[in-house]
Amino acid sequence: MDIERTTGLIFNIQRYSIHDGPGIRTLVFLKGCPLRCEWCANPESQLGHPEIIVVPNRCIGCGKCIAICPEKAITSTPIGNVINRSRCTVCGICVEHCFAEALQIMGTTKTAYDVLQDIEGDDIFYQHSGGGVTISGGEPFTQAKFTFSLLKLCKERGLNTAVETSGFTSYEIIEACLPYTDLFLYDIKHLDCDIHKQHTGVENSLIIDNARRLAAKGANLTVRLPVIPGFNDSEENLVNTVEFVKEIGVTEMHLLPYHRFGEQKYRQLGREYKLTIMPPEQERMESILKMVERRGVNVKVGGN
Amino acid sequence: MEPTLRVKSLRKRLRSFPQAICVERAVLITESYRETEGEPMVIRRAKALSRILEKMSIYIGDGELIVGNQASAPNKAPVFPETGARWVAEQLDSFATRTVNRFLVTEEEKKVLRDILTYWKEKTVLEVAPKLLPDETREIFELTYPVISPTLFLRNCVGHLVPNYAAILKRGFGGIRTEVQEKMESLDPSMPENISKLQFYRAVLIICDAVSHFAQRYADLAEQLASTEDDESRKKELKDIAEICRWVPENPARTFREALQAFWFLQLIIHIETDGLAESPGRFDQYLYPYFSKDLAEGKLTLEEAQELLDCVWIKMNEVIKLSDIPPAAKYFGGVTMSENLILGGINEDGEDVTNELSYLCLEADRHIMLPQPALSIRLHSRTPERFLLKVVELIKTGGGKPAIFNDEIIIPSLMSDGIPLKDARNYAIVGCVEPTPSDNTNGWTNAAMFNLGKCLELALHNGVCQLSGKRIGLETGDAKTFTSFDQVMSAFKKQVSYFIKHMVTMLNTWDKVHAELIPTPFVSSFMDDCIAKGQDLAEGGARFNFTGPQGIGLADVADSLTAIKTLVFEKKLLSMDQLIDALSNDFEGQEDVRLLLRNKAPKYGNAETTPDLLAREVGLFYCREVAQYNNPRGGKYRPGLYPVASNVPLGGVVGALPNGRKKGIPLADGISPVHGCDVKGPTAVLRSVSRVEHAAATNGTLLNIKFHPSALKSENDMKKLISLLRSFCSLKLMHIQFNVVSADTLRMAQLDPENNRDLMVRVAGYSAMFVDLDKKLQDDIIERTEHML
Repeated sequence: MDIERTTGLIFNIQRYSIHDGPGIRTLVFLKGCPLRCEWCANPESQLGHPEIIVVPNRCIGCGKCIAICPEKAITSTPIGNVINRSRCTVCGICVEHCFAEALQIMGTTKTAYDVLQDIEGDDIFYQHSGGGVTISGGEPFTQAKFTFSLLKLCKERGLNTAVETSGFTSYEIIEACLPYTDLFLYDIKHLDCDIHKQHTGVENSLIIDNARRLAAKGANLTVRLPVIPGFNDSEENLVNTVEFVKEIGVTEMHLLPYHRFGEQKYRQLGREYKLTIMPPEQERMESILKMVERRGVNVKVGGN
Repeated sequence: MEPTLRVKSLRKRLRSFPQAICVERAVLITESYRETEGEPMVIRRAKALSRILEKMSIYIGDGELIVGNQASAPNKAPVFPETGARWVAEQLDSFATRTVNRFLVTEEEKKVLRDILTYWKEKTVLEVAPKLLPDETREIFELTYPVISPTLFLRNCVGHLVPNYAAILKRGFGGIRTEVQEKMESLDPSMPENISKLQFYRAVLIICDAVSHFAQRYADLAEQLASTEDDESRKKELKDIAEICRWVPENPARTFREALQAFWFLQLIIHIETDGLAESPGRFDQYLYPYFSKDLAEGKLTLEEAQELLDCVWIKMNEVIKLSDIPPAAKYFGGVTMSENLILGGINEDGEDVTNELSYLCLEADRHIMLPQPALSIRLHSRTPERFLLKVVELIKTGGGKPAIFNDEIIIPSLMSDGIPLKDARNYAIVGCVEPTPSDNTNGWTNAAMFNLGKCLELALHNGVCQLSGKRIGLETGDAKTFTSFDQVMSAFKKQVSYFIKHMVTMLNTWDKVHAELIPTPFVSSFMDDCIAKGQDLAEGGARFNFTGPQGIGLADVADSLTAIKTLVFEKKLLSMDQLIDALSNDFEGQEDVRLLLRNKAPKYGNAETTPDLLAREVGLFYCREVAQYNNPRGGKYRPGLYPVASNVPLGGVVGALPNGRKKGIPLADGISPVHGCDVKGPTAVLRSVSRVEHAAATNGTLLNIKFHPSALKSENDMKKLISLLRSFCSLKLMHIQFNVVSADTLRMAQLDPENNRDLMVRVAGYSAMFVDLDKKLQDDIIERTEHML
């Protein structure tokens, strides 16, 4: 396999990322995720194929997209142009002709080599900060070949590598990547299997099992807990999570407070955002932080 | 350490005075000039300053430890008729009614000024110099929508220096006097070349006496105040002030406090001698360190006392102000900043890091006082201590835009490429905003003019015709509609640039000659190497190194415009030259789609993309090389810069539509920063793009502004990452960087103008978003958070 030519579907590359692993990092966001967490802040990451988003406040109402769409999938409405997703083939012609960038394509196919070039451009910042690359998503391991290739290429060039994962993948895939991964930012959302399934669409057994096996293998894990009020912030679940983290021998945790910044992206994708809860208060986060600290785990709110 | 009560109250008191005009200096200098008509100008200047220092009102404010005032009250601005007579007369009725930078002036004071100002008619640089220009250059000078803005040193004195403060601290004016007397004795007065030298030396002797006498006046006043003071501790302070002012600056400073007082007299009298801006204290933490460390070691000074004294100097620096020249018809109002640049840290002549304890106290003084002066800078190099950078980042985080950061690793070699020896290059400081200048010995004319690169591109695209006036003002470089290759566009642009640079040099060299004739500056010359050695005033070329530094403005707009032409017209053929030129001529009226195509579908400088970055490099380098081939009348070279002060706003006001989708009249990009809103890939991409501009060629300075939302500077960890960014900046060999920590108001502005603010990134616990792409509701939420973070 020529790993440089492996392709992946990428929806964003974000530089000067300072909260997703050590140092100054470049985040590579891969498309496609097996989970459907209700609070997901990056809904454009979920489907494993390109999508078009509509940004109404950029639209100048020129009507070119409506005229040019070969599938006649775009219509003008009082709340802006709307794409009929069942007709849209994501051919991208409308995006090409939308000079206002009110229509944008999410998901571009790139080779691992091209992405590597992009990552390496910021090399000088990694050198001075101890940073590197973090592959995020979506779930990076749904594009297993690409994630493996990119990690290996980065590692061969001496870059620090991290993967942000839901853990919902076959252990063999993670294990193959293990030699090329310096850090796993590993999400654990709930310890109760039923509740997990109800709010994320999948059971947690694979996730829990993979965490255990990875930790036992000596992988460098930081467990990330999104703090979603009413879902996983009960005293019982928090304590169970911390105890589980300790039990598998992990010493680092990040608490990621729920926020609603992704809400508008659902509208841009023509989907509905169902959660009505509010973000946790700062005091609440601090008290959770203290509780975790008391139990002997190094913990931060946000990333590092 | 928190500021002392004394410092807090001095600061509060300073802010309590309204800005007003003080007529004393204008009255005294006019009296003196009337009496000295017919004498050599350098002597007249010395006598005039002597008269002012002898007769002006002096005061010692309650609680002051460092004394010396510029005008009859704090926040009063003196008048400098020798440069400003005409513009002051023209604006006399508007000073008190302006919306910004208002200066109160009574009817009686106006009458006094009107009488005085008539004396100065036809005697100022502003009136004399333009008449000397050749016809073609004068037409270009008088354009309504100019390509060149050379007026700063036409309407004001030059300033823009880092004089040798240490020489006076070490030797006092007594030492200068002795040296000058010896020089005079050794000169044969019959030799023709010695006539002007002797005049200069006579002027310096007048100055030495005048300055010492000025300090004695403060000593007398302090004694007088002490005799009637009831509070014993204040009485003691006043007696100390008297003793110090009896000693310095006539004699060498013996203590840290004497050194600070002597420094302040120098800095103050510079601002009484002329109205030049950017008279920069330079490496303050270096030349004061011997006094500081000695007193500390001998137990004569505590860190707390040192801090309080520094805080007092910081307040004093904000007491000196200047009447701002804002023509009543001006569209854009910018405040006048004194730009007294004070720089900390860096390496010494031997290449060793010399960040010291005083450097830290100076950073702390700035945090205590939080006022515009001094323009605080730091020198960064590969071995700058981490502890120092942490303190720097803490100050950046407060959101005051200070300190600016300069890179030894590129500035030293670039100064050397201008012929500065290694030791002097290593001892550079910054003048004004960003201009690297050797300390003690350089007359750099660093802010000589602003050159509008954007306007040159406009003219190149319209065969020399100004799109605002419809008149042909540039070269006829051909009808751009007929251009069939990108090279033709580039070549037309370069021809316009070369043509106007030549005229700019003609103007500046003319001003330079007139300054030498009309405004010698014997005071500052007395402690500027090598004026005394050569027996020559600064204005005539007495400094060891002489430069003239004009700035190119609009680099990013030009680079983006050329990129759009190259990619969209000639490569992708999405647009013809014909369509492009028509759209520009109409300022994109009714052609928003064309404008957006240009704006959004061509790569932009600031995102680490090859085409625009290399075009920025080519344009910057071309401007720099063109400028660098000229010489000035002081025996020095021209050295180009790429920074704007605030001129990118008014300069943008005279430029028609450009092919980067910028509409007529919109501000140009700031220095070598990307166009507002076009750098959407974050600070690392900006730094990489900027690193492709040839910094070593822009030896008069470059400017890079980076915006940070406070969310990216929240934790200690975030701050460490900013330090890493600074270390990378150092390795990338960029010259200058400064950080604007975004305020809630900036975000509110961004809500109103999303297109020009697409670069604003906010970070919320691991989640980053472009501010303008968020919903209004979320934006409001972030604005609220931002207010809490600062």
